[in-house]
Parts: sequence; structure tokens; C-alpha cells
Amino acid sequence: MTAPTAVMPPAISIAHVSKTFGPRTVLHPLELNLVPGEIHALLGQNGSGKSTLIKVLGGYHAPDPGRGEVLIAGKPLDFGSTKSAHELGLRIVHQDLGLVAESTVLDNLAIGAGFPTRFGTIRRSQARREAAQALAAVGLDVSPAKLVAELSAAQRTGVAVARALSGHGGKVTVLILDEPTATLPAREVAHLHEMVKTAASQGVAILYVTHHLDEVFRLADRVSVLRDGHIVLTRDVVDAPREDIIHALVGGAVEPVRREITDVPSGNSRPVLTVSGLLGDALEGVDFEVRPGEIVGIYGLTGSGRESLLGTIFGAREREGGDVRVDGAQLAGRPASAIKKGVAYLAPDRKRGGGLMEMTACENLTLPAMKKFFRGGHLRIRTELTESSQWMDRLAVRPAGAVKAPLASFSGGNQQKILIGKWMRISPRVMLLDEPTQGVDVGAKAQLHRYIMDASDAGAAVVISSTDAEEIATVCDRVLIIRSGVITEQLTGSDISVAELDRRVLRSNESKVETS
Amino acid sequence: MKVTGKKFSPGLDRFSGLYLWGLFIVLFSFMAPRTFPTMNTVHLLASTEAIAAVVALALLVPMVTGQFDLSIGAIANFSGILAVIVQTNGLLDPVGAIFLGTAVGTVIGMLNGLIVVKLKIDSFIATLAMGSILEAFLVIVTNNREPLPIDNEFFTGLTQTSIFGFQMVFFYMIIIALIVWWLLERTPAGRYMRATGFDREAARLSGVQVDKWSFLSLTISGTICGFAGVLFVSLTGPSLGFGPSLLLPAFAAVFLGSTQLVPGRHNVWGTVLAIFVLATGVQGLQLVSGAQWVASMFNGVALIAAVGLAVVRRKKLSRPKKEKSRGKSEGSGSVLASTQTHGTQGSPSAHHAGQVSEKRVEV
Repeated sequence: MTAPTAVMPPAISIAHVSKTFGPRTVLHPLELNLVPGEIHALLGQNGSGKSTLIKVLGGYHAPDPGRGEVLIAGKPLDFGSTKSAHELGLRIVHQDLGLVAESTVLDNLAIGAGFPTRFGTIRRSQARREAAQALAAVGLDVSPAKLVAELSAAQRTGVAVARALSGHGGKVTVLILDEPTATLPAREVAHLHEMVKTAASQGVAILYVTHHLDEVFRLADRVSVLRDGHIVLTRDVVDAPREDIIHALVGGAVEPVRREITDVPSGNSRPVLTVSGLLGDALEGVDFEVRPGEIVGIYGLTGSGRESLLGTIFGAREREGGDVRVDGAQLAGRPASAIKKGVAYLAPDRKRGGGLMEMTACENLTLPAMKKFFRGGHLRIRTELTESSQWMDRLAVRPAGAVKAPLASFSGGNQQKILIGKWMRISPRVMLLDEPTQGVDVGAKAQLHRYIMDASDAGAAVVISSTDAEEIATVCDRVLIIRSGVITEQLTGSDISVAELDRRVLRSNESKVETS
Repeated sequence: MKVTGKKFSPGLDRFSGLYLWGLFIVLFSFMAPRTFPTMNTVHLLASTEAIAAVVALALLVPMVTGQFDLSIGAIANFSGILAVIVQTNGLLDPVGAIFLGTAVGTVIGMLNGLIVVKLKIDSFIATLAMGSILEAFLVIVTNNREPLPIDNEFFTGLTQTSIFGFQMVFFYMIIIALIVWWLLERTPAGRYMRATGFDREAARLSGVQVDKWSFLSLTISGTICGFAGVLFVSLTGPSLGFGPSLLLPAFAAVFLGSTQLVPGRHNVWGTVLAIFVLATGVQGLQLVSGAQWVASMFNGVALIAAVGLAVVRRKKLSRPKKEKSRGKSEGSGSVLASTQTHGTQGSPSAHHAGQVSEKRVEV
């Protein structure tokens, strides 16, 4: 995997492309070239202009008129036309993949390419053959007859990539992957990387958009960093030290948040949260306790029970057995009663169950505890707004003061801050945080971690379930490794590190390797 | 800030109903200068449309909660007829009949709620079926013969008494609108219902008892419809078929209303506005053309137009909105980066973290 030399004609060449929305310049004139077979990582925080750039390339936005030019394999892109981008061989795989979960892999592949037909009748055997070829092209070994819903997350992404690369639309020269690993379990990332490398080895230039620095080093030949609409760094990965990239990303050094190792609360205090023999979706009898002021991490492979544990404790998912107690009192297994006992639960997906996207920031913040605003027969809306804006200030939500804006209008990181704030506001005894910083940029992530620690300092027992080993290692006092629905190991103090976490998870799972 | 700023540029969007209303009034005043622009028309519209508005307000409550109620017309019809029959048979006095009608509506609403919440049957199906069942009951209790009108001054006076030329029924509508507004906008219950309607799962995970509010929303709808039925028979006398004619205008008004005043939300004043805009259009067309089919045609077209408008609006808003939010987050991104670098003491939360930082190691 050496970086391809610049002698080859670029697969895509972007020059002087800029974009302004009203008074604001989102992309300053920028240049970027990718040669065939190159994997080029594009980094940038939320709002750096990444998405706008992708939309310009995909033909959804026309850039500002002027000298801007995009050449794909030497041919100019007709701006603002998705058809032109497609014809020139540019494909985009979006984060949501756009697959139909209830259909087979075969049907999903054919949605893009079109079924081969004879006299209007679908030719199944030929369709199967084409599907098999498309899957082989990314090195994905799944049966085309399988339902997409049955696949692992990485396999699903693979199908989306295969679909983008196959089809009758002509040769694919450039493939843009928009944060493909944002929702991928850590274990499956390597599998996706293999598929991406297989695709690149066939001469496709790949623009790989990501939040994860690690991926740059593991996967990419070159890296570019976008900040405030400028490309502030483009280099071969071998010449780009981690610190340089971080510096370029945030325009300064990020001050890392770190939980001190000696800060583990003494074992004498009584546990706030006691979970015993918990049964449920993928849970086979989970036991653990959390003390006030403690931050406990739950780490495990996808399918180990990690995804369902916190939701089952809270009552978001059905509990099939076992006992959950908060301060000795039993939880009934319904969200409303759990909240009454001081349990907060941050859902893993803020768009599905986490936040009310159409409702305002204020309405989201106050929803779990709004009775206090109901005085003298009506809601004191001004008091509610004032308190909400104080919370938004405290959480440094941007744009500031937009308490009446719908949640959907905020960026991901700011949505997550509002949702964390919603739970901090009830001064919870127990905070259950499922993927608390998913799809959030580096800066917002550090802030969110700080808020979690604030809540812990205020005496809450915090449990974090995350696929992000770095997050677990940074924030947690104690980590529980979950495997096949039971807690198998516990890490404390200096044992907690990213390498150790991954080692434990992989080792403990040698006997039962995930389908990959 | 941009987002709040957006609210101050109403344009043709939020107030399009008002403009349309104005257009109707001007247009029909020119086309029927002797009959249309009179106080008579105003009074007539106010009282004939009051009941349609009350039924639309009843529908609004479950719609906010994310539940359909297709039995609104049938509930009103059944309760109204029942209130007449108990009087003609001498079973109850007018006051008792009013209460009975309202109570029957409430019970039917509760039944709707139980079917939806306990049997987990989609409200669309459940209330559609309930409408049909009520039609059957209507035939059973009346033997399919229209009951005689009530000859009782108190009962007819309930709605027909005039104040400043407006019949009482119009003021009932205003009072019910105020109550529904208070419920939806000024109580936690309203907020819970709205949250349930927007995203059931997210509401549930925030501690909202979604089943309870779904049940109550259908019950409230039943109560208001029951009362509306009583108002109807008091105002125009008993008729076996008035229920179905209330259904469509109510849906048209609720959907059209959700594009008005507070776009994207089903809301009380938008709904009331929509009822009267549509009614003005119907009335004007009828005066001009004299055709009998105007109301059905107009309401049908209006329903499709209203829902279509809402869909287009959502599409249109979601695209540039994405750009806008992107635009916003661009700004926020840089602000974020700068707070990150230039001292975290700027934000109170970070400051708070600083105070306890002796426990932390900042690597």
C-alpha cells in the first residue's frame, strides 16, 4: 500500500471550488486531487464544510460561479447535476446507506443497477450472478439471498459499497464514503477497511470521510483536513504525525479530558444501582453494582449484550427477568417509573428515541421534569425558557440562545449536549449513557465527557456503554467486559487502556468469533 | 439566533390562510355585491360553522397526540340524536339530555382509547370501525325514523339565543377553542401529548406515559364531539345524517391549520382560521353559482391541497433547512473550536469542571 505517484492522471481534480450560503462562506476556494487507487481520508469537525463539499461533488449543490472546476477522469463535472456526477463515475455512499432492510442483498443490489430482464420478466439467475460479482468486488462473502436486516453493520456497509461500485452506469472512478464507520462497532471496522482496500485496488479513487483519527493511519494513503471551509492540511499519511492532524483539525491543541486513576470512590459507600440476574434481549443474567460518584464503562462486542444492557435496565427494552434496584428500591421496568426513581437514560440513537427532533430545544430539555413550571393553572413558559437558556449556556450549545429552534436544526454535537442536559437537569441518581458521543466531533466530545464527569461529581452513579474504547478508557473508573450476555471481567485503575480493552474483548471471544 | 430570526419573516407562509381569506372576501364581494358582503353572511357563517369548528377542535386533540379519530362525526350524530330521543320520550329534562349526550360521547371516546391502547389496534382502523358501529346503533335507537324536533325553548335557546347578532353557539366554540388551546399549549398534559404525537418512542423514553395520553386524547375528542352533537340538534334540529358531513371539513381544517400560524404543528387557532376560510370560500361560491355540490367539492379539494401543502412545505423546509443548519453549524463549529482553544473558562459548565479539577488530571 504505497501512495500512488502523482504521475498518473487524477481520478478527480477539484480546483477553485467555493460555496457561499447567503452571507456566509462555507467553502473557501479549495483544491484537492485524488489519483486512481488512492484512499484519501478527509477529516473535519462538524460544520467544517465536509458535507457541503460532498454535496457539491455529488451534484446536489452548485458551487459559487467563477473559476471553480471539478474534473473527473479528465472530464468536467456539470455542477448541480446529480446525473452528470453519476455518468462521470462518481458514487457516494451516505452514512444511512439507503438499503432496504427487509429485502434481500440481491434485491438491494438490483435497486441501484436495475434487474436484468427479458421481455419485462426478471432473470433471476443472471441477477444472482451479477450480485455475486458485485459482492466479490469488495471481498464480501455473504449470500445474495440473505436479508439485509440479518447482516452485521459492516456487511451492510459492504453491500452499499458493492452497490455503488456495480451497476450499469459505466465505470466507477471515484467513490465517496461519508463517515461509514460512525455507527459501526469497533470490531467490524477492520472488515470494512478490507473491503475499502479491495475496492481501491481495482483503481477506484476513494475519498473517505471520517471522524476517527485511527482510521486515517490504518487505512489511508493520504489525508486532508478541512477546517472552517479551508483545506488546512494535505499530506501523505506517513508524513503526518497525529499531533499535526489534531492541530489542523481544531486549530489548536485539544486539552484532553482525563479521569484520574486514584479517583475511584471508596468501596465503602453503598451502591446506588444494583443489577442482579438481569435477563433480556441478548442478556443472560447480568450482575453488577455502581456506587455514587463512580463512572462505570460497559465494553463488549456487538451482539454481546452491550447494546441492550442499559436500555433493559431503564425499561426502554423489555426485561425478561432479574432485579434492578436504585437505592434499594425495585425498578418496575418502565421508563416513567425509572425516571421517578432518579434514573436517566440517554438513548444510543438521538434520531430514534433519543430526541424529539421536531420539538424545540427548550421542550426537549424540560420534558422529563416540567411539572414545576405548571403554576396557577398554566405553564410558566417564560420561566421555562429562561431556565432552558441557562442550561444551553452552561452546556455551551451553539447557536447560543436558540432555545426555540427545533432540535433537528442543531448539529449532532449540539443535539447531544441538549439531550445530556435534559438528563442532568433532573439531578439523576443514576445516569445510563448509551453511546453518549456517537457521531460527535472531537471538540464536542471532550465537552460532553466533562459534563458526564460533572454529573458524577454531583453524586450520580454513571454507567457508559460505548463502542468507543478510547472513550471508555478516558472517562471510566471501572470497566466491565460483557460477553455472551454476562459480565465476564472487570478492569480497574491502570489496567484500563484502549489496547487492554480490545485485547480483553478479543481474547475473551476467541471461541466465538463474530461473523465477519 | 438565525433560527429565532426566521420567525420574524412571516411572508406568505404562516399567514397564507389570512391572505386567502382576504382574497375570498374581496373576490366574492365583487361578484355578489348585494348578498355576500353583509352582516348577515357574517352571522350566518359564524353560527353554521361553529359546530364544524368544535368538531375540528375535537379532532385536533388526538391528531396532536398522533392518533386519528374518524368517528368524530358519528359520535356527534349519535350523541345528538340520543339527547333528542330522551327528551321526546320524556326520560330526561333538557339539562339532563345535554349531560347525557356529552357523557355518551365521552364513553365512546374512552372505548376508542381502550381499543387503540389495550388491543393495540391502529387508531385509523379502530375509529373507522367505531364510526360504522355507531351508525348501526343510530338505526337501532331511532328505527331509522328521524325524531321530532324538540319544542323546548331552553334547549333551542341554548344555541340560538343571539348576542350582538351572533348566535350563542359561536361563543361556545370560542370557549372550547380557548380550553383546547390552554390544554395543548399551557399544560404539561399538552406537551406530553405533542411529544407522543411527534415521536412516540422518544416521548416514552423521556418518561411520558404515551398510552395514557393516547387514551385521554381520544376520550377528550369523544367528549367534545358528544357536546358538539348536542349543540347541533339544539341549533338545527335532529337529523340522521349530519355526522358524516362534519368529518371531512374537520380533517381539512386540522391539516390546513397545521400549515398556518405555527407551521409544522397542529394548532388551535390555525384550525379555527382554516374552518372559516374554507367556509367563506364555500359560502361565496354558493352565492355566486347557486350550485349544491360546492361544499363537498371545495372541502375535498381543500383537504388534498392542505395535506399537499404540508408535504411540500416539509420537503422544501427540510432541504434549505439542512443547508441552513449546516450553515449554522459551520459558524458554531468555528465558535466551538475557539472555545476549545481560547480558555474553557468562558462557559459556566467548564468553569464548574475547573472548580473540581483537583480531582482530575489534565493530561
